[in-house]
Amino acid sequence: MVMDQIEQIKEEALAELEAARNAEALEAVRVKYISRKGLIPGLMKHLKEILPEEKRAYGQKVNDLKSSFQTKLDEKQAVLQAQDTGASAETFDVTLPGEWRGVGSLHPITQLTDRAIEIFQTLGFTVASGPDIETVFNNFDALNHPPGHPARDVKDTFYLDDPNLLLRTHTSPVQVRYMLSHPPPIRIIAPGRCYRRDTPDATHSANFHQIEGLYVGEKVSLADLKGDLSHFAREAMGTDTRVRFRPHFFPFTEPSVEVDFSCHVCHGNGCRVCKNSGWIEIAGAGMVDPNVFKAVGYDPDEVTGYAFGMGIERIAMILFGITDIRHLYENDVRYLAQF
Amino acid sequence: MKLPVSWLKEYVDFDDTVQGLADKLTFSGVEVEGIETVGGDSAGRADPCADEGAGTPDTVLDLEITPNRPDCLSVIGIAREVATLYGSALKWPVVERVETGVPMDSLTRVEVEDPQGCPRYTARVLQDVVIGPAPDWMQRRLTLAGIRPINNVVDITNYVMLETGHPLHAFDQALLQEGRVVVRRARAGETMLTLDGEERDLSPEMLVIADAEVPVAVAGVMGGAGSEIRATTSQVVLESACFDPLLTRATSRQLALSTESSYRFERGVDAATVEWTSRRAAQLMAEHAGARVASGVVDLYSATVAERTVTCRWEFVRDLTGMSIQNAEIEAILSALGLTSLATDADSFTVRIPTFRADLERDVDVVEEVARIHGLDHVPTKAPRAEIVPGADYTFHRSRADLKAHLVGLGLREIMNYSLTAPALLDLLNPDDRERRLVLPHPISADQSVLRPSLIPQMVETIGRNHARQIPEALLFEWGRVYQWAGAERQETERICIGLMGPVGRGSFDKRSPVKPPEMFGWMKGLVSRLLEALRIDAWSVGRLAHPGLEAGPSVEILIGGEAIGVMGLLRGDVRREYRLSEPVAVAELDVEALLQHGGRIQRAQDVPVYPAVVRDMALVVDADILHADILRVIRANADQALEQIQLFDIFEGEAIGKGRKSMAYSVTYRSPNGTLTDEDANVYHQRVKDAVRRELNVTIREG
Repeated sequence: MVMDQIEQIKEEALAELEAARNAEALEAVRVKYISRKGLIPGLMKHLKEILPEEKRAYGQKVNDLKSSFQTKLDEKQAVLQAQDTGASAETFDVTLPGEWRGVGSLHPITQLTDRAIEIFQTLGFTVASGPDIETVFNNFDALNHPPGHPARDVKDTFYLDDPNLLLRTHTSPVQVRYMLSHPPPIRIIAPGRCYRRDTPDATHSANFHQIEGLYVGEKVSLADLKGDLSHFAREAMGTDTRVRFRPHFFPFTEPSVEVDFSCHVCHGNGCRVCKNSGWIEIAGAGMVDPNVFKAVGYDPDEVTGYAFGMGIERIAMILFGITDIRHLYENDVRYLAQF
Repeated sequence: MKLPVSWLKEYVDFDDTVQGLADKLTFSGVEVEGIETVGGDSAGRADPCADEGAGTPDTVLDLEITPNRPDCLSVIGIAREVATLYGSALKWPVVERVETGVPMDSLTRVEVEDPQGCPRYTARVLQDVVIGPAPDWMQRRLTLAGIRPINNVVDITNYVMLETGHPLHAFDQALLQEGRVVVRRARAGETMLTLDGEERDLSPEMLVIADAEVPVAVAGVMGGAGSEIRATTSQVVLESACFDPLLTRATSRQLALSTESSYRFERGVDAATVEWTSRRAAQLMAEHAGARVASGVVDLYSATVAERTVTCRWEFVRDLTGMSIQNAEIEAILSALGLTSLATDADSFTVRIPTFRADLERDVDVVEEVARIHGLDHVPTKAPRAEIVPGADYTFHRSRADLKAHLVGLGLREIMNYSLTAPALLDLLNPDDRERRLVLPHPISADQSVLRPSLIPQMVETIGRNHARQIPEALLFEWGRVYQWAGAERQETERICIGLMGPVGRGSFDKRSPVKPPEMFGWMKGLVSRLLEALRIDAWSVGRLAHPGLEAGPSVEILIGGEAIGVMGLLRGDVRREYRLSEPVAVAELDVEALLQHGGRIQRAQDVPVYPAVVRDMALVVDADILHADILRVIRANADQALEQIQLFDIFEGEAIGKGRKSMAYSVTYRSPNGTLTDEDANVYHQRVKDAVRRELNVTIREG
């Protein structure tokens, strides 16, 4: 008997819900059926009339009705609200521009630097840093640039009023600082700003960025350098990127190499970007010169290490096809928004 | 260095294409930067040594020689590399006995006053020289190598320099006072007209070649016009010498004069072959300038080159390169390079270093030789060994990465400006910091002559540039270092600068009306608040600030526990007008270390409240000089513990309120952690608040 009552109320409730044409009518339906004193909660009053073994099923049924009705009510409410705003399906202009402020962006130099850091961190490298204003010792002497070395010339290097201080010409003095303050083994990656007295043009900037890597330990070899840089190449430029070494000379590494990556555009087949060679010069590297170890108090008979350095602007120009290094420092919002 | 391939072939055989040769050279350390084909027209002259006949083009390699390899700054030097790479023999030019003239001693005298500056000096005298053009093939080779032919004597000195790497010089002996040569330091006040037609001031730091009276050449750099070979020259003093690299470099730098000669002396020439080179040149002068070579040579060789040996462990070669290379292969490479084996055992080998390889001093240097000749493609690609080194600190980068992510998340676009900037720009924003600026003594230009003491000036410049390019709005940040004097210390600190231009805080249907200063300040303050909130820095406040670049009212310093960690404010009107910025521009600058130090701590979680809140509104009409902070203070001091939040939701000024007054509407939230707050309780709390506000501030409460 009472069970039938549930069905009856359900039918009536749904019919009235269906019939409601505006928010007021809908509210009236809501109050009538599922407000605290509404008909559906009211069904619970009949619980005492139910046989004990049926009580559970009855209660369940009332609750089901309550929740299913609530759901239908919410749906109806949404429909009515849409109609209230006057937006019918046809006139609702979904082509209007959206309204939300965009996220910002990082400068391409920062993006590349962070990417490199991230990749080398997975190999256990930590970020080290040093000041832009460096000592001549850290920038040159300790890095095996003897007095009279051309790089030390005032026409290439910015010295400060104190001739023992300069604006670092590379990030390599961070190696010196770190080795002076940490015993081996070490693995560091050191990004930073560098300065050379270059007259600005499309490919030169007196102010540029490098990222430096240094790994010192027992029996570190050129094979480790090649392995780690190959990992970096694949992660940074694409999984089919290959790495090759060419012999070169740097005062603070011996042997020294220049590092080429296979061209990310033509995958080594030759194109305009790689000047048809299939390869792009990316980094200078080599095994840390024993004189550097001596300068920082490491024993070159105990440890070996590799170091590499990359110019971030150069890589940015190659990777993003930037035609003039000065575009990177012009800070035109439209230009930066591309990265 | 330009190297005609046909010339190279005179000294070495190799069975390969030019491209093949170029690759071999590049991958053994002599980078071929370009391959150029020259000539091929009917005017192209025959080269007797070339495979090609007359009129055929010649191939020229453009080589980059690294500074450690002065031995490669010559055709023979490269031929030596090629011989090593192809396993063929180096064919030295045959220098026969050419001295047919009278004894040398009777013709000239040489003194070296500075044997350190000039470790070896040789002189020969050539008589009966007939000046004329050099043979065509010689002229062509010089031209291909980038040197302009002049006359047979001069061309021969240049030719032999390119051939051997030894710069030579020829003097017209008739133009030398007393016909003799003194190698000495220049005297103060001495000047000389160099071959390039410049009158040069000499100084005692410079080494010169002088005659009995005056300097006739800057040693190793350039000859003087006064003793130049000319059409009438008939007796020549031929100099072949070795000058100190550092001294040559210093002189060249001081005179701002770099020549083929100074380039080679700066890098170091092999003293051992100085005399042979002189003979080689004399031979060519006899052949091509009709010279009769006086017998004998002046050879002042103060310190013969010490013989050098290097010992290296076999295993070290393999350990450092990672290559698997057999001892026998190592030996073969060293031998091909001219490194004579002196001793070998199971553990190590000892080699004698030839005099032309001054760069080989240590075992690592020898390892590099083996590696580059064996080929770096033999270096295996070892699988990376990831390892956390004890003491490694990853927090430095992580905390910065987090902060950077917040800035981007807030909608800011990163810009990057130079560290060096213009004093005029700094003066515009803050002439008061002049004393603290770090000024470069030798800048490239005035525009980049000062290290920036703040990021704000260039931010303003950037905003101005974008505005000039018709960009309506910008939300920018820069993260960079600033540099200044802090007492006697040069201080370098990391900062963040934020700059806002245009209606950045409005929706796109609301962009047209002009931006008002309080609105712009509000956006900046909101942005900074959100940033600090993201860093979990809640205990911060603002304090009034007098900054010469910012408006007097809307400019504040940002304080954490009394410590100023930054500034923010609106740009002063006259600064804006410099960039034709008609609407308010907001800038902020924050210290990165301070942000990281105060922020980013791990938060203890608190359960969210379970009981409902009661919200009560009130609109206060107060005097215009009453601050929001004053009202908050009074409310907080007088509310019950149940006070949860105070929110300002409306500010209104206008005639309805009255002049000098403003309406500020607050919604106050009360909630108890212990139970549902009744309306009655909330009313009591709220009444207490209203009474206090009314009592302590001159206020009318409009509704509640």
